[in-house]
Formats: sequence, C-alpha cells, structure tokens
Amino acid sequence: MPTVPFRHLAALWVQLTGTWCNLECAHCINASGPDDPWLKPLDPGSTRRALDEAERLGVKEIYFTGGEPFLHREILPLMEDALRVAPTTVLTNGTAITESMADALAALASRTRYTLEIRVSLDDVDPDANDRVRGPGSWTKAVQAIRRLHARGLLPIVTATEISGSDARTGRYERFRDFLVRLGIDKPRLKIMPVFALGRMAGGDGERLSQDALDGFDTGILQCSDTRVVADGGVFACPILAGLEGARLSTGSLEDSFRSVPLYHTACVTCYRTEMSCRNS
Amino acid sequence: MSAGREMEQGRECRRIAVMGGVYNNWAALQALLEDARGRSVDAIFCLGDMGGFGPHPDRVFPLLREGGVLAIQGNYDESLASGRTDCGCGYTDPRDNHYARVSYRYTYQHTSTENKRWLGSLPPRRRVKLGPYRLLMCHGSPRIINEFLWESATPDGLVRSFLAGNEADVILCSHTGIKWHRALAEDRHLVNVGVIGRPENDGTPRVWYTILTAGPDLGVEFVPLVYDHETLARAMEAEALPPEFVTTIRTGWWTTCLENLPARERSRSRF
Repeated sequence: MPTVPFRHLAALWVQLTGTWCNLECAHCINASGPDDPWLKPLDPGSTRRALDEAERLGVKEIYFTGGEPFLHREILPLMEDALRVAPTTVLTNGTAITESMADALAALASRTRYTLEIRVSLDDVDPDANDRVRGPGSWTKAVQAIRRLHARGLLPIVTATEISGSDARTGRYERFRDFLVRLGIDKPRLKIMPVFALGRMAGGDGERLSQDALDGFDTGILQCSDTRVVADGGVFACPILAGLEGARLSTGSLEDSFRSVPLYHTACVTCYRTEMSCRNS
Repeated sequence: MSAGREMEQGRECRRIAVMGGVYNNWAALQALLEDARGRSVDAIFCLGDMGGFGPHPDRVFPLLREGGVLAIQGNYDESLASGRTDCGCGYTDPRDNHYARVSYRYTYQHTSTENKRWLGSLPPRRRVKLGPYRLLMCHGSPRIINEFLWESATPDGLVRSFLAGNEADVILCSHTGIKWHRALAEDRHLVNVGVIGRPENDGTPRVWYTILTAGPDLGVEFVPLVYDHETLARAMEAEALPPEFVTTIRTGWWTTCLENLPARERSRSRF
C-alpha cells in the first residue's frame, strides 16, 4: 500500500462535535446528523490538551469542524483558547450564527492576535438546488449567516462542493462570486471542494491508489503530509477520514501520530487526482 | 533543503538593507539602491522574486548585479530558471490564476536565457552574521519557498520552531508583499521585509524595504520608498499588461491575487 511521509504539523483539525449536526446533507463526508452520532463530540479537556501540544509542536493553523461545531456548548471559550495558539477557522453550516453569536464572534476576532476565519457552507446559489442537498431552509440560514458575518467585517469564506449542477462545473466560481457581490459582499471569498465517495456518498468502484501512481508525484501536496485531526478515539490522518479505524495514527499524543500515512481509502484517490486540501488556501 | 546550496555570508555586517519581491519594478529598485547607499549599509540583500507583475524583466538584472545586491531565489525565480509553466504561486481562484498566468507568461517570454541562468544560480537561503545575531534569509519560510507568512496567521510557536530548527536568532522572509516584525523572548525575531515591486495594499503607491542594524538591540526599520511609479505605470500600459496591475501601481490597492490574504489583512484592503 502506498504511504505518505509526515513532513511537519501545518494544520491541526479538531473534530469538535464529532458527527453531531443539525443538518443531514446528502453529500456529508462523515454522515453527520442529529441522531446519536457515530463519532462522539470531543470533551473540552481533550481539546485543550491537543491545542497545548500543537502549540509546542509549532502548528500553523487550527480548524474546528464536526458535525456542526457551533452546537458545542463551549465553542466560544475553545475558540478563544485556540486563537491564543494560532489562527483558527471554524467550519459551519451557519444555522447557529444568530445576531448575538455574530456579535460574540466579532468581539472575539477583535481581541485576538491571530486571524479568525469562519467558513460557511452553501452548495448552490439557487435556494432549491441548495436545499435539495442540505435540507429545507438551509439556504436562507446560511445566507443570513454570511450577511451577519460580513456586516461585522468578519469576511466569511463561502464553501461549496461540486455536488449540485454537476453539468456546470465550469463557471461555478464565477456564479458564486456574482451571487455574493449581488448580496452586497464586497470582498467575496470562496472555496470549492470536490465530492468524496464516502459518508452519505459511499459507493462507487472502490478504486485504490497503487504505489506506481506515486512515482514522480510530490506527496507533499497531499494534506496528510502536514495535517492531523484530533477526534474522539485518537489522532487521524486527515479531516476526510477522521474517525475511521484505517486512518487512526495514534490513540495517545499528537506527536505519536507523526508517521507515514497509508493511502488506503478510495477518498485518497480524490485527493490525489484533484490535489485538493481542506485548508483555506 | 540542500546544505550545499545554502550560502554563508563571509564577513560580519553591522547594518544591512533587505528587500523582497522586485517584480520587474526597475524604477523602485533604482530608487532603493540610491536610498540604501545614503544610509551607510554594509550590504544590500534581496529575498527573491525578481520577476512578475511589472514590465521589461531584463531591466532589473544589471541593476542588481552592478548594485552588488546579494540575492536568494524566490518561487518565481525557481520557476523561470527551471522552465516551469507556472509561477508556483498555487492559486485556486480562477480569476487569480488567470492573472498569475498572464504575468508569468509575459515575464518568461521577456527574460533572457542568461538572466534565467543567473536566477538558477541563486541560493535558496542565505546565512548572515549581523553583529551578534545569526540571520537566516529565506523567501517564503525556512521550510517552503512559497509558504505565506502573514502577520495575523503566523503563530509564535511556529516562529519559535523555525528559529530553533534553523539555529537562527532572526529569520527574514518576504513573499506575502506586506511587511511586519515580531519580537519574541530572548531577543529572537521574525521580520517579513515586504516587497519593492508593488505597494502593500495600503492605498498609497509607495513601497517598502527594511534596514536592520546590530546594536544593543536589533534595530528593525521599515523604510518607505517613494519612486517614479507613474513612469512604471505608463511602461506597463505600453506593454499591454493588465489594467488591474497598473491600477495597483497607481493606487496602492491590490486588485488581483487576493485569495491568500487572511481575513484580518483582507479586511484592511479595498477589494
């Protein structure tokens, strides 16, 4: 099985709410939802220990994900702790970004040394197309969140997948940019992600990478070379595979996970082909 | 990183000038060389990216060589020297990628083979003694040539690991286009020296370079450079470079390649 050597810790991801979410998106990579989560939320103590260790190890960025991280009861204090260590990004569906939460985030961003980034998921500029993937009412709430954050100068990164309008991949960037500008977002920020064949999209032909595929390929492009994920049950290779046994690299410290990663999953083929990263840029 | 390609500066300096990103801006480079000479520096260094963005790439090389500038390689220089088809900036936004391609194609076509060879001869890093301080010069970061080190997105823990891992007291970098300085405990520092090729997204056409002085403490002075930007802007127009680039030279606001800016730096920008 091909493997990717570890280079350094650029990004620490924290699977804060496990797979606990208030939406059930059709393409969710870890099948998150409101029912009893198969991957449990992290307790605040484990999160803080991971942040401390990551700081000592020279981490560059921290990401909070889930599930929906804003469902975690200690989300704000944990974000503040993370922002003492490194620039921090939270990935959200936007449903919990009320006016008062947006105020709290703006206040937090103004008092921290490092930048706070909020990524709001929206899969289509068309409400119906979006809600077919993300659930009824999700477009309205996400757009509301984008507006609230923008109004406070927080410049959210709108994150879309290539799930909807699959025949119109070309121009997706432009359509989102034009849409955001029409909303009054004068500094539109976008990230577009491929769809992965796992979670609710599991299936396909089960293709795996061979060692030959890596000949002459710079494995440093793959995020598992410089990213680790702390989730319930250990430290995992990447945000796509967090919680899966085959991607678990350590049940102890973060540093114990600094070893080669087996490219065992069909999702690794997607990363290899698209050279994508879950990071902001 | 090949240790053999890391350049040691033989003599010890007390006062140096350091610039980043020339981006074909011969007018700013000329102004810098005059300005720095008037400040009694022992040496002038450039942290790479000679090309891109501006017009007439070959004009900067005689100035660099005759000015005795000690340079290292940036990602642009590495790409030009090795015949790559892109600048290695790694944008994902199609609009940013379009402008990056226009800029790189123009620079590639207008840089002579001799100058590309010279870029290929530059070391990727350089070590210099500035009084008691051990300086490590790099383009992006000590570990990756095109890594962005923005002020709001570079944690102290990372800076400490760079310093310890490279046995340096001061790290000098560039690449982002916006200057900043972080002083840590025990007189350790990271200085992003800025660039002279384009303004730093602050609404003025001036550009910046850095003077470092060894004293009881490390002196870090960011020097604004007012130069004949209008001549450069007209030359860009004559070469049919994108009007968006010319706007940046005239107004000081970045109009392209904004995707890598963290929220905090982006919130200060006009676009």
